[in-house]
Amino acid sequence: MYKRMKTRYYITLLLFLCTNFLFAQDARFTASVSSTQVGTGEQFEVTFSVNGNGDRFTPPDFNGFQVLSGPNVSNSITSINGNTTVSNAYSYILAAVKEGTITIGTASMVVNGRRLLTSPIRMTVVKGQPVQQNNQAQNAPDNSIAEEAPADLSKSLFIRAVADQTTVYQGQQIVLTYRLYTRVGIVDSRLDKLPDLTGFWSQEVKDNQQQAQWRVETYKGQKYNVADVRQSILFAEHSGNITIDPFEMTFIARVTAPARDIMDQFFGSYKDVKYAVKSPPLVIHVKPLPENGKPAGFTGAVGNFTMSTDVDKTELKANESLTYKVKVSGSGNIKLLKDLNVNFPPDFEKYDPKITDTVTESTKGVSGSRLYTFLVIPRHQGDFKIDPLQFSYFNPSTGRYVVLPGKTFSIKVNRGTAESNVTAFSAVNKEDVKVLDKDIRYIKTGEPGLSRKGEGFYSSPWYFLLLAAGPLACVAAFIYRNRERRNNSDVVKVKSRKAGKVAARHLAIAEKLLGNRNEFYEAIFKGLYGYLSAKLNISVADLNRETISSALNNRMIDQNLVAQLLETLDICEMARYSPVTSMSEQEVLEKAKTIINRIEDEI
Amino acid sequence: MCLWTVILLPLCSSASEQSEDLFTRANALYAKAQYQQALNSYQKIIAAGEHSAAVYFNMGNASYKLGDLPSALLYYERAHRLSPNDEDINANIRLANSKTRDKIEELPEFFLSRWWTSVYLSFSANVFAVCSVILLLAASAFLIVYFFAHRITIKKPSFFIAVTFFALGFCAIFMLSQQISYFDQKHAIVFNSPVYVKSAPAETARDLLLIHEGVKVTVLEDKQQWLRVRLANGSEGWMKAADLKEI
Repeated sequence: MYKRMKTRYYITLLLFLCTNFLFAQDARFTASVSSTQVGTGEQFEVTFSVNGNGDRFTPPDFNGFQVLSGPNVSNSITSINGNTTVSNAYSYILAAVKEGTITIGTASMVVNGRRLLTSPIRMTVVKGQPVQQNNQAQNAPDNSIAEEAPADLSKSLFIRAVADQTTVYQGQQIVLTYRLYTRVGIVDSRLDKLPDLTGFWSQEVKDNQQQAQWRVETYKGQKYNVADVRQSILFAEHSGNITIDPFEMTFIARVTAPARDIMDQFFGSYKDVKYAVKSPPLVIHVKPLPENGKPAGFTGAVGNFTMSTDVDKTELKANESLTYKVKVSGSGNIKLLKDLNVNFPPDFEKYDPKITDTVTESTKGVSGSRLYTFLVIPRHQGDFKIDPLQFSYFNPSTGRYVVLPGKTFSIKVNRGTAESNVTAFSAVNKEDVKVLDKDIRYIKTGEPGLSRKGEGFYSSPWYFLLLAAGPLACVAAFIYRNRERRNNSDVVKVKSRKAGKVAARHLAIAEKLLGNRNEFYEAIFKGLYGYLSAKLNISVADLNRETISSALNNRMIDQNLVAQLLETLDICEMARYSPVTSMSEQEVLEKAKTIINRIEDEI
Repeated sequence: MCLWTVILLPLCSSASEQSEDLFTRANALYAKAQYQQALNSYQKIIAAGEHSAAVYFNMGNASYKLGDLPSALLYYERAHRLSPNDEDINANIRLANSKTRDKIEELPEFFLSRWWTSVYLSFSANVFAVCSVILLLAASAFLIVYFFAHRITIKKPSFFIAVTFFALGFCAIFMLSQQISYFDQKHAIVFNSPVYVKSAPAETARDLLLIHEGVKVTVLEDKQQWLRVRLANGSEGWMKAADLKEI
């Protein structure tokens, strides 16, 4: 039992091995090209085919070639008398980019667990237009243009992006045309992708005709039917090299097919081929606008313009509206003009301008006019002036900036009727003061108030001297007062010092009383007595001849003077009671004065 | 009378006719927008050894108009020193400072000290000096009246007036001394741009800050070619003396 089992196992194993061997021997992986000699730009096909099922197909990197399409995979299964063969093909359509001998590398694939490689293929690429195989005699320009293999449609159906100029200034207009060249009939077309035109501001030229206008044009020695698919006007937004992306379309082209029978030969046969077309990228060199000579108020206008300014009235009432119009016309980037900065008097209320464009886009570019309508309302009466507007643009054809001056308008604003209302509600309608600009304060005129450098009164010796003067005066005054006080505290001394003054007062009274005998003598007497009382510190009651003479003698007064004093006192006393006197009143007065003076001198 | 002449003599000291004439002519040039010529004329006044707040202020204006911001600031600061409470000068300093490139946040100052600074800067030093002299002399006069008056109705008020005047006088002296010490602090304006503030007084030292012309710095220390400075935001470092001009 066991032995039979074993035998069966061996048989199965042998069969398995046999089949495996057969399969493995059959698997071939080959590479082939449609032609080993091609011209640059010419399309050819590379096919990698394998019989059997394979996976992990790795194509070579087609260095030096442009892959136009692929990999296109085709499978075929054939079954003949129960013998099934499977083959897979991977094909690419390539175009040679540069001339020379270029090798297509090896492709690899895993078939039945084995990794198979193709042998490399040497390609010879020659320059320029390759030999045209298929355009024999038929060179008619019209619809029956050519019959070619679908791979070669690139020569008979393509789109070019054409710019009227490729070196421009920033903001200058470029007319870009996508032009379709064809030598085959086109059944249908579809727009795949519009270039997004990054870096440009674009404006499409609208055609009146829906149908494409066909014309015949010779390009690179070949005649083509040509139509402008699309036309745009571009304005470069920044400087530098800007690439315009490809324009992509898919066509269904009607291609004549090789005749299969007599009927075909007679009527001609065709087939419809779907073919995608891409325009080659186009590079525009954009130069920046020259900084040199750029006017102050330049707003980016490039082209050729004229400008006119106008106001609807030059005399109006306050709070009425005034229309100021600026018309810029010409060709260039009119739609890209920035807002104009018109210097209205600050007292005018200004609104944003209304912009009306009358622009036509044609194949020559954008031209037309833009009308700025400014609405302003003068709020107060007076004579105002609207400064001329300076419009500047860059003329790319001369490479210079041009400044167009506007007109100056004098506006007379009369007192408005509504203004009275404004004043009635002035508290509500108060306006903020308009801050126009900031600047430094004006210089100081008038007296400069110059002084010597490094000399301030506060640091001069004068200052310290004067500062000290006050307190010093105070101290001096204080000391003086204290001494005075000390002196004044001795009453007797003060009295005696003041006695002279008291006597003088009495004598002055007496002098006035000259002639009035009684009172005169009394005054003299009082004066002398009062003086002596104060001087000798004896009360008037105690004063008599004896006390006077003794006190005076005590103070070492001249005896003679004492005698004179006593005599005078006697005279006064006697004169008061008797009408006869030995001396006149005048003499008595003089005598009294001299006596007092002499006593003053001695005491 | 004699006293007044003594006080006023140094104030209106012999400003020569020639300088005043120069000043008037320079002002006329400024009015005609000939700022460079005006500036030259003002500089002649300074070269003659005379100065005033008005001259420095006008020089600052002329420099400002010529686009020389650091010079403008230097002259404004000099004018400010002579006349600390002039609103025109302060306004122009503020405006010129707003045009300098560096934004320097000033250290916050206690409001009382800020108030006190504005008080002692409210008058020029000379005004404070004259005020203090007048107040002290008046106070002394009232005190002397107090010493000698006999009637109580005179004695009592004169004493209080004297005390008040003395207090005010000393107050004026104190403010004067404060102002003198405030301006005694050396300040300077950065004249080159850009300038590195170094960590030590040597070329090889590490760069701490990068500042531009027009910045006002406080000079803390002077070491031959190098100055230790402090910016308004409190950062300190060493700068070359050649990059600075002292106010």
